[in-house]
Amino acid sequence: MTQALEGFLQALSAGLLIGAVYGLMCVGLGLIFGVMRVINFAQGDFMMLGMYAAFYFFTALGVQATFGNTFGPFVAIVLAGPVLAAFGYFVHLTLISRVSGTRTSSLEGEGHYAQLILTLGIALILQNGGLLVFGSVLASIRTPLSSSAWELGPMFNDISVFVNKARGIDAVVSLVTMLLLTLLITRSRLGKSLRAAADNPTAATYMGIDVDRAHRIAFALGTGITAIAGGLLATNYPFHPFVGVEYVIVMYAGVVLGGMGSIIGAFWGGMTIGLVQQMSTLILPTQLQNAAIFVVFLLIIFFRPQGFFGRMVERT
Amino acid sequence: MLRIEGLTAGYSAIPVLNGVSIKVEQGQFVAIVGPNGAGKTTLFKTISGIVRPSAGTITFGDHDLRSIRPAQRAHLGIAHVPEGRQVFPSLTVMENLEMGAMTEAGQRDWKHNIERIFAWLPILAERRGQFAGTLSGGQQQMLAIGRGLAGSPKLLMLDEPSMGLAPAIADFIFERLIEIRRQSNLTILLVEQRVAEALESADHGYVLEAGRVALEGNNQTLRADDRIRKAYLGM
Repeated sequence: MTQALEGFLQALSAGLLIGAVYGLMCVGLGLIFGVMRVINFAQGDFMMLGMYAAFYFFTALGVQATFGNTFGPFVAIVLAGPVLAAFGYFVHLTLISRVSGTRTSSLEGEGHYAQLILTLGIALILQNGGLLVFGSVLASIRTPLSSSAWELGPMFNDISVFVNKARGIDAVVSLVTMLLLTLLITRSRLGKSLRAAADNPTAATYMGIDVDRAHRIAFALGTGITAIAGGLLATNYPFHPFVGVEYVIVMYAGVVLGGMGSIIGAFWGGMTIGLVQQMSTLILPTQLQNAAIFVVFLLIIFFRPQGFFGRMVERT
Repeated sequence: MLRIEGLTAGYSAIPVLNGVSIKVEQGQFVAIVGPNGAGKTTLFKTISGIVRPSAGTITFGDHDLRSIRPAQRAHLGIAHVPEGRQVFPSLTVMENLEMGAMTEAGQRDWKHNIERIFAWLPILAERRGQFAGTLSGGQQQMLAIGRGLAGSPKLLMLDEPSMGLAPAIADFIFERLIEIRRQSNLTILLVEQRVAEALESADHGYVLEAGRVALEGNNQTLRADDRIRKAYLGM
């Protein structure tokens, strides 16, 4: 009994920590989908680039030498965010803007077909380009914290829960990033104009908001956010140029769970997936982790098709 | 102030507007009336830059609007209160008003404007924290008007403010508009299907039919015109 409870608490804490990072990862995609209505298949590969950016910041660009082994990785991860945001800005400027935003009103299906093909193409180029540049060897951003833990307890009945230190800091970085993003979106003029552009691009134009610019900023922000989440995951999981494919499915599941178009919803969607993934190991073999995610996903969507925070109908 | 000459515009190859010429002078209240599908909304969308003209000129003050990007036109002082209200449903009433004040003038006059808007349309002050998507149609229309006023516009363009509203509410909104005009001396361009009310309060009117100006004139001449009386006023 005690052992079962201990296992449960252990899985719960692991789920919350990994869920916080998954949540951030989903928010990056949710921001792009929510503001622009663009289905971005390359989001996982943007994340892969974020992982490598953090990796090279840490190993080759002096972050390790300046900040040391323990906290250097986290500095490198946070630095990778703006770099990937700039990359996202550029990708939108040169490619995505051709098939999205105000240009698409004249295209069939509002440009969605072109967007699917384009982002899928970008994904393939990044994956194979990554293989060419980074090689196929597994990389990882290890810190000594990755293999040490805090012990919570012993609590009642001598139960102790161990929290991996790297994952603990990952979760904190993720929550702080999420908090800053939420403040930006809800409080600042820029954030409000992004939401206005998402609600009604035509009316936003009437207000004097440059909708294409709003989309570019959302795309850059979303790319940077997902890149940071990727770097955080890389402190515990090794990665390779094709790692994006594994995560992009989780990202979409999280965004749909949270409710398409809701940014805070995407966070809770990602959190749910993290929890289900870790808790499922209590009763299922580890290989079925991802199967469990999608069983729960289907169950939730069956009972609440609009997701946690989605709106079924909207008065206009 | 606003001068449109020989404007032809539309969607794909078929023009909706065919050589339309319209003039709005500083301080004037101009109404454009006409049946469904006459091109009234398209005219507004062309002024705002959402629809591209294929011929003709649009000048606003000294600016040739065709060379100015759509999002920049609000910053020149054109406020477009669109057909069907089009408030931002997931933003609060206050945030909607802030979006109306994105222009430089709107930023500068924010305090003064918001006071005036709340005095003219008190329901907005009452509902300031509520999401715009949860307002009733009449309240949304008032919000759309308030949002237009928040930018300190030189020209306020109203596209069918009475659309889809109960007659009593439409009457109330009309009264408010006249009061706002009286106190602010704002230049207003109004598109309306409630022809009698629109012509009654406007200085100058245009009748748009099938993409052309069928008739124009001042308040008295239009209301005295036989065709108008028969077709629109039911007399």
